[in-house]
Amino acid sequence: MSEFLGNTQGALAALYEILQTSVLQLFADPTQLSPNQSVVVAAPAMFVGAVLWTFWSGQRRTKVKLRAEFTPGKVYYHAPPPLKVIPCHTPFGMKLETYLRMADIPYETMYSWRMGPKGKIPWIEYNGEAMGDSGLIIEFLNREKGVDLNQSLSEADKAVSRAFTKMGEENTYWGGVRNRWIDNLDQMQELMEVSWIGMLLLRSLRVKRRRNLWAHGMGRHSKDEIEGIVEKDVKAISTFLGTKPYLMGDEPTEADAAVFGQLSEVCCAFPGSYMERLVTVEYPNLQAYFNRMKDRYWPDWGELTKTSVPLSVIEVLSSQYL
Amino acid sequence: MAAATSGKVYFHVTPPVKAIPCLTPFGMKLETYLRITGIPYEPIYGRSMGPKGKIPWIEYNGEAMGDSGLILEFLNREKGVDLNKSLSDADKAVSRAFTKMVEENTYWGLTQYRWIDNFDKLQELFEIPWIAMLFMRRIRSNTKQKLMAHGIGRHSKDDLEGIIEKDLKAISTFLGAKPYLMGDEPTEVDAAVFGQLSEIVWTAPDSYLHRIVTVDCPNLLAYCNRIKDRYWPDWDQLTGNTNTNQ
Repeated sequence: MSEFLGNTQGALAALYEILQTSVLQLFADPTQLSPNQSVVVAAPAMFVGAVLWTFWSGQRRTKVKLRAEFTPGKVYYHAPPPLKVIPCHTPFGMKLETYLRMADIPYETMYSWRMGPKGKIPWIEYNGEAMGDSGLIIEFLNREKGVDLNQSLSEADKAVSRAFTKMGEENTYWGGVRNRWIDNLDQMQELMEVSWIGMLLLRSLRVKRRRNLWAHGMGRHSKDEIEGIVEKDVKAISTFLGTKPYLMGDEPTEADAAVFGQLSEVCCAFPGSYMERLVTVEYPNLQAYFNRMKDRYWPDWGELTKTSVPLSVIEVLSSQYL
Repeated sequence: MAAATSGKVYFHVTPPVKAIPCLTPFGMKLETYLRITGIPYEPIYGRSMGPKGKIPWIEYNGEAMGDSGLILEFLNREKGVDLNKSLSDADKAVSRAFTKMVEENTYWGLTQYRWIDNFDKLQELFEIPWIAMLFMRRIRSNTKQKLMAHGIGRHSKDDLEGIIEKDLKAISTFLGAKPYLMGDEPTEVDAAVFGQLSEIVWTAPDSYLHRIVTVDCPNLLAYCNRIKDRYWPDWDQLTGNTNTNQ
């Protein structure tokens, strides 16, 4: 043992010696650096550079591969392919695509598991540029295409509309994350039609989700507390909806795309969960509302879900790490 | 907690600074709620984290509890209090939606400003010695991770500021000319919204947030002053007796 330690100590001393000589040489006369010395100096320099770049480069934009040719003014909508139970497994995909249908904005769907410029899905390509975040995309397309689903609302109602959107997307959504990724991960095997290899991948992604839940704050609560929080959100949406056909009145507005997005996951992709029970048994006006939106804007729901594609492990891995 | 009185609320929070009685918006929220409801409490100033690793937290009948929202619900039941009793069910729903928007979205705008964009001023704001800043740097990189994990940290500066601006304008529009968010008397959501806005008004003077709340939407500044005058008459006393003045 002492011999090993002695050897290690000797090796470390030798390494330090080389480093010291190399750095001195670098400052004295870099042209005289030997290849070994160059490596010894360059390696830590590159490491330090990489660390600094990671912390100081500001917003890390994910590199996305764009189409070589595009039609100007056309929306290329990127989302993961349909599953057996739902056209899109991310509520923000359901939201964005529902909005496109509500606003009658023609779009071409590009199914893929690749992440968008903010490292998330869904995303769009428009006039050669990639854009992420369903909310920002909707605001952009409103301006670009002269669309305003909220035009009949009073200013106060627009404010209420935003509050409900944010509650659903920044609070209730995380209850869904906990339900899907932590409490019922096994269900994803059937949902995503994956083999045990796919489940290994999902289990590794689950680690990240747990961290995200903790960082967000929701993950610090117990299961019961989370269920209580989600129930109060769902009750609030149900109470506010009441007997109205849509959230803000007789015609659908932007908030309906957002709320429908979250609800559709609950109704279709969380079978047997407390969340499903809430919207079907305890607050059935939500189930009716979901069906109303689905019938109106997703007449092709059945067709789409028949074309479900199992999760592609290779695509997901390559989009996360390449 | 030695010799705790039964039925008493021990309110654990960081000590007041010159700028504001409590540096966390959830502390301002919880304490404002306690003051609106008239629930007596004993503040225990310190920096220890509660059972969920966050502040504020309370001790009650020997048990520690975390999360201002859950604490509020607990105290409502325990003390038979209901600030929302005059609201219709639909208004209660709207009230919850605004609470969640301001705490799960707008809050992160303040966090980004305080911990990332304006970090240089943190030492002065928190009134801590330079050596504590080493620890603060650790919290800062932790906060960056939180912002990314939440999602809002993925946005560019302009995108993020746009999002937060829309939140604040929504609150301002909904408040309108009313004295409190839901009408003539304060309700639970006012504690939550005041909690977030008070940090903007009094601890972020040079920010775009401050400009929105004071210049673009002056009804928000008036609203904050209204609540401060009514429920924090001892504001100057609390903030006057801080470390820097001793």
